[in-house]
Amino acid sequence: MATTTNYGWSTPDDTSLVKDGAAAIRTLGSSVDTTTKALNPSTTLGDIEYRSATANTNTRLGIGSTGNILTVSGGVPVWSAPAGGGGITSLATGSLTGTAVNLTSISQAYSNLVLVLRDWYPAADAEGISLRINSVSSGSFYYGAVIHSVSATVANTGPQNAISINNGDRNPKNEDNNNAAIFTFYDYTNATTAKLLDANFVYKTSTTNQQAACNGGFAHNPTTPVAITELNILCTGTGFGGGSYQLYGVK
Amino acid sequence: MTKTKLQVKIVNVETGEEIVRDANAEEIAQMKIDVTANEALKVEAQARASQRQEILDRLGLTAEEAALILG
Repeated sequence: MATTTNYGWSTPDDTSLVKDGAAAIRTLGSSVDTTTKALNPSTTLGDIEYRSATANTNTRLGIGSTGNILTVSGGVPVWSAPAGGGGITSLATGSLTGTAVNLTSISQAYSNLVLVLRDWYPAADAEGISLRINSVSSGSFYYGAVIHSVSATVANTGPQNAISINNGDRNPKNEDNNNAAIFTFYDYTNATTAKLLDANFVYKTSTTNQQAACNGGFAHNPTTPVAITELNILCTGTGFGGGSYQLYGVK
Repeated sequence: MTKTKLQVKIVNVETGEEIVRDANAEEIAQMKIDVTANEALKVEAQARASQRQEILDRLGLTAEEAALILG
């Protein structure tokens, strides 16, 4: 009996008798039905198919969960949740008041922390703003270097008992001059190495009345390294005149 | 000069709970230490700036000219 080229379905020979036509058509139709189903095993909305190890037989892959991505496992496609990474989450936000704002019980579920200060200024001219980690004010574990645009200096600091974020001038003006600062604490949960901090900030100085831009790098390197669980934003003396903070966790 | 009450704001990042209270004796003592340290650093920075200006005056250069040479 003759067969089709691709799927081998049986068809009547040229010499077959007309009386066998119905049976031949039924056999052909049944073969087509079986093959079609093997190639299209979908049963549910969202199903997709992929080729199996058996010729002319596909495997059904049911739809994944919301947010899943199509990836490969064991040589076949599978739906899976995307790997974490790159996300940024707001952990805390509020106003800068008093002489210290202590952000405590910081989640250890992130890779880095980013602290943003907006519109910060001191309640009196020439009050410096500084940062501490875990309220540690002794031991002189803070080291840093700041490049300052107005004083045109590279101020090397440390060891000190706090991170002085406007070092090199230390004279911010008692006005809302849209001052801004951003700090990134890398690998903050690591309890075996020193902590590194990038700092960038801009403010108006009270001595020269100029906008100052600063860039600094700092390290917190105590004898026994610790994870950062608390950040202390300090404006000692007369305290903050205004401003806000926002703390982010970065995956 | 504006006087601000010595207060500490404590924000529990996990729960969002916020407490504002007066600074305690230990914190006030630390603030005094910090202020003294800040003042010392400020004096040090000013001294450095003065020394720098003296040198510039001796050389007859402006700060911009010196920056140009060193840059």
